[in-house]
Amino acid sequence: MLKDLGTPARGLVRAAGVPREVRRRRTILVLIILACFTLIVLDARRSAGSPVEPLRAGAAAVFGPLESTASSARKPVDNLRDRFAETDKLKAENEKLHSENDKLRQELNTTDYARSRAGELDGLLRLAPKFTMTPARVIGIGSLQSFNHTVTIDAGTADGVRADMTVINGSGLVGRVVRTTEATATVLLIGDRNSTVGGRLNSTLALGFVSGRGELAGTLDYKLVDLKAKPRVGDRIVTWGSSGNAPYVPGVPIGVVTSVSATAGGLGTTATIKPYVDPTRIDTVGVVTGPPARPARPQLKPTTTAGSAR
Amino acid sequence: MIALRVGLAALLLMLAVTIQTSVLTNIAVAGVTCDLVLIVVIALALSRGPEWGAIAGFVGGLLLDIVPPADHTAGRWALALAIAGYVAGLIRRETSAGPVGPLGVALTVVFGAGLSLLIYSATGALLHDPSVDWGQFGVRIGIAAGYDVVGAIVVIPLVMWLMSRFTATRERRVMTREF
Repeated sequence: MLKDLGTPARGLVRAAGVPREVRRRRTILVLIILACFTLIVLDARRSAGSPVEPLRAGAAAVFGPLESTASSARKPVDNLRDRFAETDKLKAENEKLHSENDKLRQELNTTDYARSRAGELDGLLRLAPKFTMTPARVIGIGSLQSFNHTVTIDAGTADGVRADMTVINGSGLVGRVVRTTEATATVLLIGDRNSTVGGRLNSTLALGFVSGRGELAGTLDYKLVDLKAKPRVGDRIVTWGSSGNAPYVPGVPIGVVTSVSATAGGLGTTATIKPYVDPTRIDTVGVVTGPPARPARPQLKPTTTAGSAR
Repeated sequence: MIALRVGLAALLLMLAVTIQTSVLTNIAVAGVTCDLVLIVVIALALSRGPEWGAIAGFVGGLLLDIVPPADHTAGRWALALAIAGYVAGLIRRETSAGPVGPLGVALTVVFGAGLSLLIYSATGALLHDPSVDWGQFGVRIGIAAGYDVVGAIVVIPLVMWLMSRFTATRERRVMTREF
């Protein structure tokens, strides 16, 4: 009897001819999709209070050391790459890179970071920023499938690295720190489409904005604030710096103008910039953790209330 | 036994995430890396079915979303890989109980790579993420699929062999109970 009472309901559910196993499987899928949407909605605003942040911190705490170990054991992988790629070109490049790296390491190990290449630019801008650096190594790289131009470095809050600090290497600007944990930090590269840096044309001191294109080579777009100013091919661009040196310190070389064209559907010109830093070959970087030894802005006179020297 | 299997799957996923973020990116082809996590998820789905595929995809994707270099909205890779894992599990079921042939595995991987990248990009577009670049989408999907097949040749047999070692006895017991 009890069995009979049970049948109609079961018959109704089974009307679609779906066996129990399939129903269970579908329930799991639906639950997972709902969980994903919940996560996306919770994290979509990307504000500091996102409930996913503790998860990220936990993941970084676990995976930071793992990534660090894995990337120190990547020698065989590097050899493999040598074998597959055009060997000669790569080897020469590698050698050059190694020597550059060694030089860079030496520079980084000294307390004051002598930026020899930017000497002329520094002279031009009348500032010689000798920033305090925290050297760090890249231990994880975002892949282009994720459209992410981010890297993980093995320095975190324990080393004095905080969000919105400038990251540079021997060639120029790498990016800025967007998120930190105890022992790792995530760096948004300037080639990311989410990245915009204030850039100064060093020939005319004209101001503009450098934004990433999201391409592999890290190619950048440069738009000038002054619509009449025209950048020329070969002009160099340095950061103009933000107030309080965050997120970008002034005077760091960004790249060189490779072509100039009229802005599509707008006034002014857009320059294409080849960055000094090759985003695919970042290894040792320096995070600017301290203020310049000299004020970035030369003080011309006892300032008035406005305070802006220019 | 089931706890052991879950532990093994979790270990494999963690290993895959670590290797994908810190080692494989150094041998990226035009910036596109081998989706090791996707491959492991598909291998788990092929050996255990759609539920396992969906759950493993969710966990692996969530790890990809929150492990350091990631800087996008969490849940996007989780959704993409969960659906790809589920579909891969279905393919295994459709082709019935027998093992899926090498060509079937390769096609599953290509399909999974395309599907997951499409879902990931679509959610990005819905969220107005400026970094989603549909102009580059086709090229990247092609490279990713090709690269994934190469990775799958090595990884999928390994994972399926590992999983079968941990399931053999139980499966046999279930079989004898049912028949």
